[in-house]
Amino acid sequence: MKKESGFTWKLGMFVIIGLILFIGTIYFVGKQKNLFGNTFHLKAQFKTVSGLKEGNHVRFSGINIGTVNGIELITDTSVLVDLIIKKNVQKFIKTDAVARIGYDGLMGDKVLTITPGTGNAKTVGDNALITSKSAVEMADIMNSLKTSVDNAGIITGQLAEVSFKINNGNGALSKLISDDGFSNSIKGTLINLQASTDQFAKFTTNLNNGALSSKLDSTMSNLQSGTKGLSDNMDAVKNSFLLRGYFKKQKKAEAKKKADLKKAADLKKRNTLKDRINLKTKDIPNHSNLNAKDSIKQ
Amino acid sequence: MLISLKNIFVNAGHVTLFTGRFFKEVLRPPFEIKEFLRQCYIIGYKSLPLVAITGFIMGLVLTLQSRPTLAEFGAESWLPGMVALSLIREIAPVITALICAGKIASGIGAELGSMKVTEQIDAMEVSAINPYKYLVVTRVLATTLMIPVLVVFADAIGIYGGYVGVNIHSDLNMFRYFQQVLDSLDFLDIIPATIKTFFFGFFIGLIGCYKGFTAANGTESVGKAANEAVVAASLTIFIIDMLAVQITDLFF
Repeated sequence: MKKESGFTWKLGMFVIIGLILFIGTIYFVGKQKNLFGNTFHLKAQFKTVSGLKEGNHVRFSGINIGTVNGIELITDTSVLVDLIIKKNVQKFIKTDAVARIGYDGLMGDKVLTITPGTGNAKTVGDNALITSKSAVEMADIMNSLKTSVDNAGIITGQLAEVSFKINNGNGALSKLISDDGFSNSIKGTLINLQASTDQFAKFTTNLNNGALSSKLDSTMSNLQSGTKGLSDNMDAVKNSFLLRGYFKKQKKAEAKKKADLKKAADLKKRNTLKDRINLKTKDIPNHSNLNAKDSIKQ
Repeated sequence: MLISLKNIFVNAGHVTLFTGRFFKEVLRPPFEIKEFLRQCYIIGYKSLPLVAITGFIMGLVLTLQSRPTLAEFGAESWLPGMVALSLIREIAPVITALICAGKIASGIGAELGSMKVTEQIDAMEVSAINPYKYLVVTRVLATTLMIPVLVVFADAIGIYGGYVGVNIHSDLNMFRYFQQVLDSLDFLDIIPATIKTFFFGFFIGLIGCYKGFTAANGTESVGKAANEAVVAASLTIFIIDMLAVQITDLFF
């Protein structure tokens, strides 16, 4: 009897642990598919679901919040997708949220993403229909890829033409590449340029070292003393009796010129004053003009 | 030629009658509960260490062997899911069933064969005990119910072995590993695989019992019965597996 009870509890433990493992797995897999717990339904309509399957994940802000529960054709151009979503996410999904079908990784499954709506919209209700945006189809990508590949083909063709012309033509570029004489002359030019820059470098070092600058300095002081002597000479010339008359005449002419200028300015002033008075007394501008003309004549 | 063909048909007929008798007897009282529990203990609990070691090694080795191929695609993150899927769908059920065919079918075949040879079965019949009910029904029922439990253990330990295997080369958190495993699983992976283990268990028990029960007189036939039980059970497991996978594939 004792032996019998010994094996019974071991057997019971064995079976119960096995059952717990099995049921646990079933429960967790079911939880993954959102079969248990609080959920609510959402609906979205698409033109094409591009291979979305039942059981695919639904993502909201990048988090898995539910699964695709069912997909059915309602008309020949629209598919209704039913989603099961965790209840505790409902308050974050607004009525203007947008459903979109995307790729989960490079070669992975399709995934349905819900983009959050704006903050001030209402939260969605159970079984609500949210707006959807059509997915980027592989065919579309391929089409746009084809255009860019075609363009690339044209560009490379033209590039090939250009390089052919460079290699075989007579232009400056082809000479640069193929003509020895041309390249030699460029080389000569460059050598000359180098020599001249060498010279220039020497010149600047001399300038910096002071041998040249001291010379320049002495030249400048000589120049200064020279100009001073010249101005003395000029003064002497002005005062000499031979040339005094000339200078006086020049002064007089200058004074006369000034007086003339002053006279002209006065005249002008007077005329404008007259004009103003005419305008006030007579409304006809022609008369005033005439008067002005007369005054100028006077 | 004709005689051997006829022998095959005769054998098939015997097996069918034997199976039919099982279904007849299993529903008819009295039930041998105590003997059934004892057989469950011997078949289930006593096989656990063997199955556990096999499962662990299978998980570990499968992970290590799959890694280079997946690493080539840069898809090492799929390793937990892949190992769990192959373990649960195919490897754990078949390996466990084969191990049990080796351990249990041969054991039953040898036990019943020696009882038959030493005329213990006849003696039971004389003492008004239904030997079929006492010996066959309890054992077949025990294997049918215990092999699935053993497979569940093998699954769990094998997946743990996969965790160890993943952690040899990279560093993966236990929680994250099991999350990835559960992520890759579907009911379609678990349910058909579990259903087929019941069939594995049933045929392991039935073939062991049949070979033992129909052992010819003579000592050497005991060994022969044990040997034939293992071979036939292993072969049957593969055939059932193929059928089960085909049927699952057809319907889902």
